[in-house]
Amino acid sequence: MKSQTLALLLAPLALAAAAVADAHNAICSCFENDNGTITCEGGFSDGGKAAGVPLRVFDQAGKVLVDGAMGKDSTFTFAKPKVAFRVEFNAGEGHIVTIDGRDIEK
Amino acid sequence: MIAALLGGFASGAADAHFQLLYTPEAALKEAAAIPLALVFSHPFESGFTMNMGKPEAFYVVSQRGDAQRKTTDLMQYLEPIQWAGKDSKGAAYLAHPPRSVTRSLGDYTYVLRPSPYYEGNEDKYIQQITKTMVNVGGLPGGWDEPLGLPVEIVPLDKPYANWVGGVFRAVVTAHGKPVPHAEIEIEYLNHEPQIEAHEFAAEGRVTAPQDAFTTLSIRADANGQVIIGLPKAGWWGICALDLGGEKLKYQGKHLSLDAVLWIKATDMTR
Repeated sequence: MKSQTLALLLAPLALAAAAVADAHNAICSCFENDNGTITCEGGFSDGGKAAGVPLRVFDQAGKVLVDGAMGKDSTFTFAKPKVAFRVEFNAGEGHIVTIDGRDIEK
Repeated sequence: MIAALLGGFASGAADAHFQLLYTPEAALKEAAAIPLALVFSHPFESGFTMNMGKPEAFYVVSQRGDAQRKTTDLMQYLEPIQWAGKDSKGAAYLAHPPRSVTRSLGDYTYVLRPSPYYEGNEDKYIQQITKTMVNVGGLPGGWDEPLGLPVEIVPLDKPYANWVGGVFRAVVTAHGKPVPHAEIEIEYLNHEPQIEAHEFAAEGRVTAPQDAFTTLSIRADANGQVIIGLPKAGWWGICALDLGGEKLKYQGKHLSLDAVLWIKATDMTR
């Protein structure tokens, strides 16, 4: 209850968060699920959520294979591409995390 | 006279019981399988290794940011071994939970509730409920929240992100309430545990100039808060003693219910 109240109070501040983003780092990590999908989790080093942050999957030529965004729970799940790929978590300038598909493990 | 001398010796040796819940890294850059060693020992001197019974509980509480807290039981991964200290061997456990347990970002608090250990020198039982915290990827998640343990050291600083030369603060609690002036012992994990060899490294990193430096005995303040300095890189154990009160019994003997928290200090280097 207390944390909910705090969350409501802080909600207007969230808009300003992007402007002060230098004080924390964007973080993204992905793993492969048993059913062949890939889940990426995102957030910030201060504990901030990544809800709504764009997450795109590109092939080697730079073509967009998946154009997604982090859900309310700061995750995004997509079918594993059949070709070589990379994941880009884009939280704005200086806050882009790129992950090579070959580095994604179960 | 002889009894008094022996008594003095016994309490000196007994001061430094420490339940280890050891893993090499506290702050992982990325998800990995995390090995753990559960050893009941005297870590500063690699002293007498006590026999552990089968733990009553062993699990990890994890949280990614403010997502829902998750508890994963780890009892199935316990592997009984013999662990060697400098002059003794004792029953201990290893655990190698798979990567899937720790593949999410966030904080992971490992919790061990060992079975009570009978300490013949003091004719009492000791049970040290122990927490070791690990972070994956730098995303925090509930590191400052109590887990609702009967006795617990609740961090005020991240246990996995401390520079050498800094301080670490925590609050000692029993049944959720701070324990004023709690009796605290602190030990540096001086002999590096060699998990796969089931032993402590023979050489310690530092030498105590006198016995009072082996186990640092301090008191919490009036609010149950503890502040310790971190002069050397590595793991530091904080143990709050006998938080269950004098009347707590196990099998007709006094049970010292202790809370242990392990924290790691890291050198500032390039």
